[in-house]
Amino acid sequence: MIRVLFFARLADLAKVREAKFDCPDGGIRMDELLRQVVARFPSLEASLARPKLMFLAINQEQADLDAQVKDGDEMAIMPPFSGG
Amino acid sequence: MSEPVRIQTGDFSVEEEVKALHSGNGRIGGIVTFLGTARDLSRGRNVSRIEFEEYAGMAVKAMNVLRGKAMNQFDIIDMRIVHRIGTIQAGEQIVLIIAGAVHRGAAFDACEWCIDALKKTVPIWKKEVTPSGETWVEDHP
Repeated sequence: MIRVLFFARLADLAKVREAKFDCPDGGIRMDELLRQVVARFPSLEASLARPKLMFLAINQEQADLDAQVKDGDEMAIMPPFSGG
Repeated sequence: MSEPVRIQTGDFSVEEEVKALHSGNGRIGGIVTFLGTARDLSRGRNVSRIEFEEYAGMAVKAMNVLRGKAMNQFDIIDMRIVHRIGTIQAGEQIVLIIAGAVHRGAAFDACEWCIDALKKTVPIWKKEVTPSGETWVEDHP
């Protein structure tokens, strides 16, 4: 199982803050997992159409689209930051 | 003494934070503070309050990384970073960065670098609440 977390505008669009996804043996590439996220949450399609504009993290470490997400991981999809 | 890097819902005291940085650091000759506050006008709209959200755990980790980098890159003796989350009314304090150095130049440089880097690298988001609705902010004015 992979926990996917949504933040800020993405959480509003998805109407949830997190969702669980099955993890195939050997894990799944981040870009493939994002495709599954969009399939389950079509409201995120426009935002995730250009995933390079988003910040992605695995277990609280920034990760790229070709990173491998493994069973038990926490994956975060984050819009651009606006603290300060 | 409180942690030098914190995220909290409650307000902070600039005076107490400066004291905490200064105490025990007799070599400090210059302290620069950056205090970010909530404006009541943004992009031409009245803002009544701001809601801040964080990625709990990762945000404070990213702020600790910034402090570490600042201590390495600039000739400063100490730095403190405090950021509030939750609901912040117009006029209230949001973020405080304090840099202490032997001389003022490094403290100014470190402070400016840190707030710029914080906006780009720390997973915190703000939603401005206006009379006409709510907007997530996703740029860095």
